[in-house]
Amino acid sequence: MNREEVFSKVKKALVEKLDVEEDQISLDADLRDDLGGSSLELVDLVMDLEKEAKIKIELEELRSIQKVKDVVELIEKKLH
Amino acid sequence: MFDSLPLCQCLKIKYPLILGGMAWIGKGALAAAVSNAGGLGTIGSGSMTLVELREEINRCQMSTTKPFAVNILMLDPAVEEKVSLLLELRVPVVIFGAGNPGAFLETFRRAGAVTMGVVSSENLALLLERAGVDFIIGEGCESGGHIGSVTTMVLIPALADLLRTPVIAAGGIADGRGIAAAFMLGAQGVQIGTRFIASVESDANETYKQMILKSGIRDTVVTGERLGHPVRVLKTSFSKKIKRMELDSSEEAERLLLGSYRKAYQNGNLHEGSFLAGQSAGLVHEVSTCQEIIDKMFTQATTILEYTNTHIIERRKNEQRGSI
Ligand SMILES: Cc1cc2nc3c(=O)[nH]c(=O)nc-3n(C[C@H](O)[C@H](O)[C@H](O)COP(=O)(O)O)c2cc1C
Repeated sequence: MNREEVFSKVKKALVEKLDVEEDQISLDADLRDDLGGSSLELVDLVMDLEKEAKIKIELEELRSIQKVKDVVELIEKKLH
Repeated sequence: MFDSLPLCQCLKIKYPLILGGMAWIGKGALAAAVSNAGGLGTIGSGSMTLVELREEINRCQMSTTKPFAVNILMLDPAVEEKVSLLLELRVPVVIFGAGNPGAFLETFRRAGAVTMGVVSSENLALLLERAGVDFIIGEGCESGGHIGSVTTMVLIPALADLLRTPVIAAGGIADGRGIAAAFMLGAQGVQIGTRFIASVESDANETYKQMILKSGIRDTVVTGERLGHPVRVLKTSFSKKIKRMELDSSEEAERLLLGSYRKAYQNGNLHEGSFLAGQSAGLVHEVSTCQEIIDKMFTQATTILEYTNTHIIERRKNEQRGSI
């Protein structure tokens, strides 16, 4: 998966999990402040993506996630 | 009967019972009383300054030789300093209240502390297990304080199926029947908060304790749901007002909530205070010492579990034998 593909998966997951429209989601959008995600929703989001991308994310790595691009970069890093 | 359970084995305690960390109410004296009565007492550090926390840990250490825990909240602005303090004072058990403890978990593990995480979701539980936490406390939405959205009855079996880590059940448990039920759901122990607000050793004021005794099972409400941080409190004119206000004036509601926990705790202020408590307030009918509460709970739980064993399980076995 290249970056574009990862981003589009993340976007799709965000639209499903949080009540947001696709055009609200930019790489720079803040998951909590801009998209209204709660901590638990973010955990759910990452776990869904984990299953889909067949990777394993650690608790500690979640703490640094703030923006959409942090999720995209984390998944990219894990895929390589 | 209970001493072979992982919590009792791990900590060398008599009963698989944890006093839920309670900001404002669970101080050193209450924690020590529960530990001395055979459970695991917990100091709720959420409402304390660093100086206060040090004092309460010292007080607890002076009043008991048994293990005790400190509950820390990840949202606490002083969380880093509190972590250092717990390491310095060699607190034997650390319980992470809702939130992601990240790297702190490993720090405590390396220092030899027993670690536990409170969860209301299966995904956070999975991540905590992966990070190596020793016990996972599943907290249902009957609980007092900050809550998730799933009941204990549903959360605990789901966690028990999912995890290898021992699960401790919290939320709605206030007597031996609740404890016995928790085992049936797949838990290996219980964490209890509300029942101990109305204990002799709790730091709740008299008004607070009397309110718990007077409450029925439907006398709590969840404030802050609309604000993204649901908290279960006793139903008062104040909490009802907050609920109405959340709908159209969330900033004003936030402003009123700020400091309302302190007001409930400090002087039992009915008009501006938020009294944290779970639905099980309706099951609490008297103020007793921690020793009395715990002995009674486990006597009742033992009776029920033995009854189940002899009258249901053994009888069934005999019937099956008979039919062969
Ligand atoms: C007054 C009060 C304060 C609480 N404060 C905290 C806290 O600071 N940290 C935490 O993890 N849980 C807190 N809780 C939740 C308890 O630790 C425990 O999980 C809960 O009370 C269990 O449900 P029960 O109230 O039905 O027994 C609090 C609960 C109450 C009633």
